[in-house]
Amino acid sequence: MNSELKTENTSAEQHGALKSGVALVDRSALGRLAVKGKDALDLLSRLSTNALLDLAPGRGMQTVLTSNKGRIVDVLTVLRQDDRLLVLTSPATRQKVAEWMDFYTFTEDVAVKDVTLDTAMLSLSGPRAGEVLDAMSCMSASALAPYEHVYTGLGDVEAMVARTDFTGLPGFDIIAPAAHAEALRNTLLSAGEPLGIAAATQEAVEIVRIERGVPAYGKELGEDYNPLEAGLIGLVSFTKGCYIGQEVVTRLNTYQKVQKQLVALRWDGAADVQAGAPLMMDGKKAGVVTSAARLPGSGTGIGLGYVRKAQAEAGTKLEGPGGAAVEVISSFRQ
Amino acid sequence: MGARRKGLTTTTEPRKPLTISISPDAAEHVRKFAAQSGKPNASLRVGVKGGGCSGLTYVLDLVEAPNENDKVIEDHGLKLYVDKKSYVFLAGTILEYSGGLNGKGFVFNNPNAKTTCGCGTSFGV
Repeated sequence: MNSELKTENTSAEQHGALKSGVALVDRSALGRLAVKGKDALDLLSRLSTNALLDLAPGRGMQTVLTSNKGRIVDVLTVLRQDDRLLVLTSPATRQKVAEWMDFYTFTEDVAVKDVTLDTAMLSLSGPRAGEVLDAMSCMSASALAPYEHVYTGLGDVEAMVARTDFTGLPGFDIIAPAAHAEALRNTLLSAGEPLGIAAATQEAVEIVRIERGVPAYGKELGEDYNPLEAGLIGLVSFTKGCYIGQEVVTRLNTYQKVQKQLVALRWDGAADVQAGAPLMMDGKKAGVVTSAARLPGSGTGIGLGYVRKAQAEAGTKLEGPGGAAVEVISSFRQ
Repeated sequence: MGARRKGLTTTTEPRKPLTISISPDAAEHVRKFAAQSGKPNASLRVGVKGGGCSGLTYVLDLVEAPNENDKVIEDHGLKLYVDKKSYVFLAGTILEYSGGLNGKGFVFNNPNAKTTCGCGTSFGV
């Protein structure tokens, strides 16, 4: 169920649906780890940045798994269910995260099971996504708080619905047994038809992700960066006590030692700016592009990248490959 | 045992297996603490858990009995119980006690620790 949804919608239609309507997205490639045991939440809290111990059943939050150098191992979504945690990882890191948790489990009561291939994760994204779910079941998806999740029947499929806003706009991940993926997909498309639902490709989702400044693993997230550089200070609790990397992260914050910042970028669509391209200022390297795309329709180039702190202000003009004018349009500094 | 080679004499002691030991001072403080806690016959669980700034945090606990598969070490009249996974990170450690006004309390002198955090309660390997 990791194959991409077939779509007949144009990229402009998909983009429009994701930004102002509703689109169906297959996110089955993300890792899903079921973590059981009475010490599960405590262990994850000791390994990551956010105040996970505050989580009540039915709630969730994102947290940054950090190395002892305060670098990003992955950004996890932790959903607390009654008898276990469901941990969503980036597609490339599910095994690494499972091994990381196993390495740090000594005498604790914690068991990690990779349920990625046993389950499918279809998602509805866009401002009208909640309306589709509200019409299908007795739940009120629109009323769910971020990372709140419930079990509900969608057509003939029993599924978990979690509000995760993964593109930065309203979005719901729907997790069901892999065997029911096709039925769930058809049910969601039928229910969304009156609202003009589109099936969106990963490329279409990627454009909106970049527009909304949501960092992705392997691009903006990884062990080259720390959570403060990546604009993830909102996922860091400075009062929860020790976790791996805490001393480094706290020192960087206290003494304002963050050297580079994640920023949103824009350039003329005619320029050839790709991820990995260096950004220069006055002949010196000022940063690097980490994600790049073109907006459907206008063709304007948009991207994300890391630049030195002094160049992170909106309006800063940088030079891309071939002298392309690249402008910083916003900084995710908090 | 001695060996003579090219005029040099070297002495090779049989290598002791790496273990975990406790200093007499530290053992005495454990016994005192156990008595104050109403557990005069307790032994000391020594271990490691994930977390702390540097990655791994030391664990000390008074317990009545070992868990299954624990290593049991006796030193200076005190039994130390260590789970096997923690033992990997603690082999060679000497548990000492630093008392007085400026003392740090129990101190782990752990040869496996490559880094330690500012407060000394966590380490990395």
